[in-house]
Amino acid sequence: MENYIPVLLLLGFAIIVASSILVLSWWLGPKKPLAVKLSAYECGVNAEGSPHAPFASKFYLVAVMFLLVDVEAAFFFPWALVYKESLQLGPILFVALVIYVAIFALGLFYIIKKDCLRLR
Amino acid sequence: MNTVDIAILVAKTLLFYLIVLHVVPIMVWVERRGAALIQDRPGPNRVGPFGLLQPVADFVKFIFKEDPIPTGANRGLFLVAPALILIPASLTLAVLPFGDKVKLFGREILLQVADLDIAILYVLAIGSLGIYGILFGGWASGNKFSLMGALRASSQVISYEIPLGLAAVGAVAVYGTFSLREIALAQDGLWFGWLPRWGIFLQPVGFWLFFIASFAETNRLPFDLPETEAELVAGYHTEYGSMKFGMFMMAEYMNLTTISGVMVTLFFGGWHLPFVADAMLLKWIGSQNLLGLVQVVIFLTKVAIFLCVFVWVRWTVPRFRFDQLMRITWGRLIPLGIVNLLVTAGVMLWLGGWK
Amino acid sequence: MSDIAAGLFGVLTLGCSLGVVFSRNVIMSAFYLILSFFGLAALYVLIQAPFLAVIQVLIYTGAIVVLFVFVVMLIDQDKLLEVVTGKTLVLTAGVLAWSLGLILLRALNHSPMAVPVSGQLPTLRTISLSLFTEYLWPFEVLSVFMLVIIVGVFVLARDKVNA
Repeated sequence: MENYIPVLLLLGFAIIVASSILVLSWWLGPKKPLAVKLSAYECGVNAEGSPHAPFASKFYLVAVMFLLVDVEAAFFFPWALVYKESLQLGPILFVALVIYVAIFALGLFYIIKKDCLRLR
Repeated sequence: MNTVDIAILVAKTLLFYLIVLHVVPIMVWVERRGAALIQDRPGPNRVGPFGLLQPVADFVKFIFKEDPIPTGANRGLFLVAPALILIPASLTLAVLPFGDKVKLFGREILLQVADLDIAILYVLAIGSLGIYGILFGGWASGNKFSLMGALRASSQVISYEIPLGLAAVGAVAVYGTFSLREIALAQDGLWFGWLPRWGIFLQPVGFWLFFIASFAETNRLPFDLPETEAELVAGYHTEYGSMKFGMFMMAEYMNLTTISGVMVTLFFGGWHLPFVADAMLLKWIGSQNLLGLVQVVIFLTKVAIFLCVFVWVRWTVPRFRFDQLMRITWGRLIPLGIVNLLVTAGVMLWLGGWK
Repeated sequence: MSDIAAGLFGVLTLGCSLGVVFSRNVIMSAFYLILSFFGLAALYVLIQAPFLAVIQVLIYTGAIVVLFVFVVMLIDQDKLLEVVTGKTLVLTAGVLAWSLGLILLRALNHSPMAVPVSGQLPTLRTISLSLFTEYLWPFEVLSVFMLVIIVGVFVLARDKVNA
């Protein structure tokens, strides 16, 4: 656990650097706001409608599928950690991997075949 | 822990943080001069010798610029977003093993900010936090281009996290540890007397996967869809000005440095010279502390080579379309990662024997 | 030392959780949720479960909140506020939250506060080894569940999501 003290220190340094840059650039820069300057950049025309209007929901599917595959992939980590030393127990972890990967691949195949990400 | 220990800890952390922070101005110069070289033009050559002081000039100019907050923006999140991307980028460097260890003040000091036993997972986990800077920055700007860029960027980053993780799993399986220090230590010396014990020879496919995914994770060409200056203006940082924009750039180069460092450690022997074992190097140099310094230089040289490759690729390859990008990862890289894992496991079983 | 750290991260986690509930802007809620999960991860590190901490960050902060933010960004903000401030909804949510709180409180009362540990604490290696040997079949069944979830999610979302 002592190992994590430097991580905390680094977090502190990072926060100091990031916030001091923000403060400095606000403090040193000129402040001459104009309505045109502060309007959203829209290639020279006035912005139409809400900037947060709903659109392309295929991003939603990407996020869902990522979540599921990520949870599945997270199980590979503990497996990989002990695979090398488990070899002396026989091929049990290899069998575990093959079955798991088969089911994982089935899910992946479904995602690609059914065009779950709306790529086409 | 007494005062000396704490002082060493603070000094060490600060030192490595400053090293990586100073990669940023150097990379700005390398990137601009590299682009100029590839496109056959002079590039920045007015400020200082060879234009070396150009990044300093850029910084001074950035910091003295007005930073307007657009009227449609969510002020709080708009200000926090650049920090949200810079802080994870700074945190990931904690586990990079810059060298073995030195002896100072009667203590053994590891040349690494923190030797965590879950180092690889730490890099992946903290690295995945960077997307919030993009997501919140794009949303808080109150601009359609920015929101579109942010959504694209985050779809891309999350999709390429999976092959990145799978490639790392291959390396973990081979070395049987999450600790980057132990992985680096295992790559000392030669196989059969002529082949460096580097990870790339054990995990060639894993390296290739990691290499490709790292371009997408750092939003570099050919995967720079989040920015796509031709269609989305500049993506999630369209509305950002002054040093807030500079912070996005800083984060990009720091991420590049970290991911290059991880690649060097996993696949290219970390701080080890090829063909020269550490014991031999120690005999030549004669001092453990000097050896530590040499190791840091070797490590940083390897990282620098990778950084140059990133620049070279950026100015050579055109970008992918969004659907191509998604098809590459879901249809090619992830299946390839799984096959790589299966083959790795099979070969290890074959070599380890059915005892 | 670690008690102080635990206190600080506990306050961070709880405070940000309150921020999630009370903030009017849903994106701000997501922001507080990230901080709160981060504090939780730090607490896991403090009880010497670093693997749990990174998985917490990787899955919850890195994937689940992303999904949450995506959903919020894809729907109209103004409509969302109307839904959130509906009277019956607030009432139902209050009742549900109170009953959940009571259940948790009861569970807390009935569980021992400090479990005596005999001998060596299990390491990540021993836990993962037993996951893939002793508990292999439950683990594989879990992966079948995940497959079912993937198919189920797509079937449910297919008609509602237009490309």
